Amino acid sequence: MSSSDEDYVADDSDDAGSHQVSSRHGTRSQGPVKGPAGTSTRGGDPNAGTRKRAAWEDIQRSWDTVVESADGSITAAVEKERNEKKRGRLLRDTTPLQRGIIRHLILVIDLSFAMQEKDLRPTRYLLTLRFAVEFVTEFFEQNPISQLGIIGMRDGIALRISDISGNPTEHIEHLRALREQEPKGNPSLQNALEMSRAALYHAPSHGTREVLIIYGALLSSDPGDIHDTIANLITERIRVSIIGLAAQVAICSELCKRTNSGDDGNYNVILDDVHFRELLLAKTTPPITQTKQQSQSSLLMMGFPSRVLDAGPIMSLCACHSKLTRGGYLCSRCDAKVCSLPAECPACGLTLILSTHLARSYHHLFPLKNWIEIPWPLASQSKSCFSCQTPFPKPPRTSSHLQVPDGKGKGREGVGTSSESGRYGCEVCGRHFCIDCDLFAHEVVHNCPGCQGDSRGNVQVRDRDVEMGGS
Amino acid sequence: MDRVDGTEHYKGDVSQGPIPALLLIILDTNPHAWALLNRDLPLSEAIANLLVFINAHLAFHNANQVAVVASHCHRAVWLYPRPGSSSEGVDMAGGETPAINDANKYRPFAQIEDQLLTSLRDLIQTTTPDDVASTNTTQMAGALTLALAHINKATLAFSQQIGGTETTADHLGSSDDTSGLQSRILVLSVSGDLAHQYIPIMNTTFAAQRMRVPIDILKLAGDTVFLQQASDTTRGIYLQLRSPQGFLQYLMMAFLPDQTSRKLLVAPTQEVVDFRAACFCHRKVVDVGFVCSICLSIFCSVPEGAVCLTCSTHLSLGEYGSKPAVVPRKKKKRRKLNGGDDTPSRPGTPVPNK
Repeated sequence: MSSSDEDYVADDSDDAGSHQVSSRHGTRSQGPVKGPAGTSTRGGDPNAGTRKRAAWEDIQRSWDTVVESADGSITAAVEKERNEKKRGRLLRDTTPLQRGIIRHLILVIDLSFAMQEKDLRPTRYLLTLRFAVEFVTEFFEQNPISQLGIIGMRDGIALRISDISGNPTEHIEHLRALREQEPKGNPSLQNALEMSRAALYHAPSHGTREVLIIYGALLSSDPGDIHDTIANLITERIRVSIIGLAAQVAICSELCKRTNSGDDGNYNVILDDVHFRELLLAKTTPPITQTKQQSQSSLLMMGFPSRVLDAGPIMSLCACHSKLTRGGYLCSRCDAKVCSLPAECPACGLTLILSTHLARSYHHLFPLKNWIEIPWPLASQSKSCFSCQTPFPKPPRTSSHLQVPDGKGKGREGVGTSSESGRYGCEVCGRHFCIDCDLFAHEVVHNCPGCQGDSRGNVQVRDRDVEMGGS
Repeated sequence: MDRVDGTEHYKGDVSQGPIPALLLIILDTNPHAWALLNRDLPLSEAIANLLVFINAHLAFHNANQVAVVASHCHRAVWLYPRPGSSSEGVDMAGGETPAINDANKYRPFAQIEDQLLTSLRDLIQTTTPDDVASTNTTQMAGALTLALAHINKATLAFSQQIGGTETTADHLGSSDDTSGLQSRILVLSVSGDLAHQYIPIMNTTFAAQRMRVPIDILKLAGDTVFLQQASDTTRGIYLQLRSPQGFLQYLMMAFLPDQTSRKLLVAPTQEVVDFRAACFCHRKVVDVGFVCSICLSIFCSVPEGAVCLTCSTHLSLGEYGSKPAVVPRKKKKRRKLNGGDDTPSRPGTPVPNK
């Protein structure tokens, strides 16, 4: 989609009550929602009459942008657009930001009457549960040393669904069990937040404390003043993000903004089920640390045990469940056997993890730099993609191709542009790659084939050193 | 999509019957390690055996593919297909090498043999003594990255040939179906220490796991913890070559079956997988380490001044190394008793040396 609609500001910020009437589709916006104070984006603007355009006013139709080439075919234009779309997905900020890698997150799911709505198929409730299971799996895939708990909001109270733990199977079991039940009653934001606060109270200071709320309703029936709760959340440095299923709600917006030190990018309202899934799975990426005091860094002692695979008929009891098992991991300090990792050694209390768990998070910390598009004049130095050997198109003899560059200059900003010569170059090693390898290197493997494949030029200068030196 | 011509009728041909497999071989050509191995298994003999194995793989299925990457001392190089050979394919068949026109050899076999040997010779000739002298490791991470990029491209091309509707994102999401190209990586590893490539190798391991590409390791010499972890994570086979004379037999018996047949076979497994990590400060492999909570760097001992070497954050030590507070009484006697088990991280603590 185009990014033109992300600046939509709800004009009726003064009558927030009207939001609760119904879920009008027109009130949804794709990007981060501006709060009641969101008008500050045009605060200094003297002519307030120039209203921002709403999302639906700026629709870009794919057939409007297609330009026929000289022989009347649109293959080139279609190909270009497809490449642009591909690249748009991967161009992101690659500054190595400090992220809260060790996370403590409470997932709050709305189980109120509002979830019975059928605007998402089959119902909001069932779809949310399905996505929540996906979220749990992906969360532990991305954050293996993090902890997760699940809380529900039903009948005006907060409901403990799954205790805070690092075991995905337990969470998924509890979520599956919810499917049998019906959503009913009112949700209570305050109760849920208070329960999350209590659950996160013991989270160690070096990890993050986060609450993620999936909120279907447009109201909240609270026993007390929610502003007090928000103030408490701030002092306990708990960060709240909300995914709204219906429309923007003023209190949600305020809650997210205040607990994220003024950053309002954490309140989103979904457009459709695909967007819902995208927003939810985006939360599996570790959050950026914003202020110094949010993270008190510390050095953790951890054990990296080796696995033992008892092939013979011998079985032994594991220390964690006292069950007879064949294989397992031996604690590197006291040799007690545990059956799965990550775990805390039941005998000596050492945190036991696999080094592969840590390594899974490294690409968040040391992202691969975006590759640049190579214009025709520089394209002649390569004939084929460095990594997959696919031949590149030959440079044109005549300059008839030079109609493209005018669209290129502006593209460097946000949405990805496709390279006119089909080549994308790494700025560190100077090698050229095709678009498929560009996508693959940035989204899947997180290595540059060129930099890794030849260390003669930059001996002992590895990716991470370059990245860390810059920060 | 792009197919507007009437080539529909090929579709049925490819999609039924056994699925073709792509075998990607990474040959570790580290000169140091091969020199050590020369008495038991010279490189030439290993290549000859490898070619027999490649031919066997190609003979399994008409559409089976193979690709070979060399992981040399300073760079990773394509051996087959040769870089640039696809564009000048005409001149390859031009008959400069008599081997290709040998009537007694199946043509694809001869082609691979010829290209592989030519590029290997090129590689060895372009290696200067300086290159060899300056390092004793190999660019395994680069070779794995190249291999995975090739697999990605081949899978895309294959799925386009069959269905033609998948895009990159779809094929990543739905790669669990069995209709796609079955790819696997076989690493013939001779080098030992790879600790300085820890992060890139781990990145490739997770990428392979996500793409469901098993990484098989045949270890001819040395021992590498990370390759062990890679094969374990991706459910590949890890084998240590015990008798170099049986090299070909190892290849044929253990590594020839593809993923589909492996489900029906009892594959060799690793008894003990070493999951220890390398510390970032000395590249030592550690059992118990210290992890920075910001950047997850692993240290073998508490870094000096408790400042992380990677992200230069000041780290609080938490509970580690704290001792119960003792009421100071007779100072001299106490010190002597406690001095021995103090942490090595605090060099400033004065210990009377008597």
